[in-house]
Amino acid sequence: MRAQFAWWTAITFVGMGALAYADDSSFTSTAGVGPLNGQQIYEHICQGCHMPGAQGAAGAGFYPKLAGDKKLISWEYVALTVLNGKNGMPPFGLPADQVLQLRTAHLSDQQVADVVNYVRSHFDNKYPATVTAKQVAALPHPESAAGPF
Amino acid sequence: MQNDQSTPPVSRRELLRMIGVTAGSAAMYQAMSSLGLAAESPYKGPVDLQGAPRGASILILGAGMAGMTAAYELRNAGYKVQVLEYNGRAGGRNWSLRGGDVYTELGGATQQCGFDQDLYINPGPWRIPYHHAGMMHYAKTLKVPLEPFFQVNYNAYLHSTKAFGGKPQRYRHIKADYQGHVAELLAKATRTQGLDAKVTQEDQEVLLESLRQWGALDKNYAYVASDAGSDRRGYKKNPGGGLTARPIPSEPVALSDILKSGLWQGIPNGDTFDMQTALFQPVGGMGRIGEAFGRELGPLIQYNAKVVDISQDATGVTVSYVDSRTLGARQTARADWCLCTIPLPVLAQIPLNVGPRLAAAIAAVPYASAIKVGLQFKRRFWEEDEQIFGGITYTDLPITNIGYPNSGFQSGGKGVLLGAYIWGLNAMEFTAMPPEERVRKVLDYGSQIHPQYHQEFENGIAVAWHRSPFTMGCFGMWSDSSRAKHYDDLCAIDGRVALAGEHASFLGGWQEGAVTSSLDAIGRLHARAVQQGAQA
Repeated sequence: MRAQFAWWTAITFVGMGALAYADDSSFTSTAGVGPLNGQQIYEHICQGCHMPGAQGAAGAGFYPKLAGDKKLISWEYVALTVLNGKNGMPPFGLPADQVLQLRTAHLSDQQVADVVNYVRSHFDNKYPATVTAKQVAALPHPESAAGPF
Repeated sequence: MQNDQSTPPVSRRELLRMIGVTAGSAAMYQAMSSLGLAAESPYKGPVDLQGAPRGASILILGAGMAGMTAAYELRNAGYKVQVLEYNGRAGGRNWSLRGGDVYTELGGATQQCGFDQDLYINPGPWRIPYHHAGMMHYAKTLKVPLEPFFQVNYNAYLHSTKAFGGKPQRYRHIKADYQGHVAELLAKATRTQGLDAKVTQEDQEVLLESLRQWGALDKNYAYVASDAGSDRRGYKKNPGGGLTARPIPSEPVALSDILKSGLWQGIPNGDTFDMQTALFQPVGGMGRIGEAFGRELGPLIQYNAKVVDISQDATGVTVSYVDSRTLGARQTARADWCLCTIPLPVLAQIPLNVGPRLAAAIAAVPYASAIKVGLQFKRRFWEEDEQIFGGITYTDLPITNIGYPNSGFQSGGKGVLLGAYIWGLNAMEFTAMPPEERVRKVLDYGSQIHPQYHQEFENGIAVAWHRSPFTMGCFGMWSDSSRAKHYDDLCAIDGRVALAGEHASFLGGWQEGAVTSSLDAIGRLHARAVQQGAQA
């Protein structure tokens, strides 16, 4: 067994604030994903939808196959999608203290850069893995989930 | 409202501050929520759709709760109704997995449910609050019998891996002791004028007596091992009959231990409006409602129909679809109107000619990640060994919930637990695993609460909602900002197309959101149809 669950022992309790959603628990974690590298982030999160090997999948709709995807030529496109989500895909660029309302998770700019680099340089994708956290930080991040109130 | 200068009343803000001081900010937040915001169903009784234009037709996309509610009402109102459904069954997320069922998730992993007869899990919704009047109405109309769903079980557990040596605590212990200690503190504050004389003398006397009763305090306003306290938390030795009958009071857990454990956060789990007694479940599984709706609508539903294009024009809506199993030749259906209940992640990928505002709204709603895992055990050890009959255990482990079956008590046979109900990051990580690994992990984690798990386990099934071919996620997640920007556009009729579903409601993930959004949408569509019929 891999050590992938180690950080769960460091979970903090957070009171649920969401209104009227059908799930319930007083106990959930907003702890970040921990010190994962690009490959680990892909395997722990992204492949839930984009599948092992980045093969994608199709049912009533589809999850894009990232292996050999020509759109990956633009690192900005990939990074913006990770940060802001797309259609039903949750955003991963919200601050850690705002992920609960959307039941999503927070990736740091470095982690976004790492996973963008990983996807763009694996699965038959041969782009250079040179995106930096600083470049990611300069991209638009999702607006505050709580809104401008 | 009193205005006695010598004894000003406790202001709301000060009360909240006091709660914050004693219980931490999360409890304060929950108190604030409970003072303001609860979303009651707007269901107003059976919908009135009189005067449907002769021959008017509607195409409904999706045979879930929203789609079938609309189909049922519009058919009864005289509309010509056709429903297209991606799955080979009715219900959508209203769904129960039973022995023999086969489920293939996105990516191709196929699980066969190995449960014994009459055992099931509900991968989607599992409870109906009494005030979800729309769901209650349709369960009654469709003659689906209901039975109680135990949201709160005082003998189930609150569990933290970081407190009490990882040993699960009975809900009744944490609740009674937290309440008793807080009552004692507040009584102390009252008696030592600690409330800054902001409660009148007269009210203070009543307050003290109420605290004594509320917290099970003794005559000195202390929360100690006593008959009164044990009457709440349970005895060390319960009262009985005969010579061995004499009860022995139990010892409360110290306030500091409860505060440090964080388990106090689990106390209000049955206090939120949606979770208040009474709640119900259909006998035999939540899916019984969808199945009954499907039988009622019969040939109106075209199953295994994957929608690939939605195109409206001045006189109607044409929908193209293919067989979802063979992806064969395109077929088309056409009607005057279209009610589209397709989950937004799917709909966002289907060509659809609507205005930019609706298009933007469809693309603006991320879907929650969620997992449910059902586990069949050789015996109902939670009942036999631990006297837990129904209800839910809450834990800080990634499995989050253990749901005990609310029926079949003391059957002497096997039982199925909801072994996990997970969302957020943990759900994403479980989604990324193959189904059998999800089940294995859930067994490992759950055995920290119920050591019987490994010995008694027989089989399990895991549904990860982002791998669901028909929804691509569990339910729509609105942030306050995206709701302010897009919600009204999502619900507005665009030409001849209207949307409905839980995503078009303030009851995220609740079936009542689907039902009430559907009734709202068809009411508006009907009004438009009548208006146009009058013009024609």
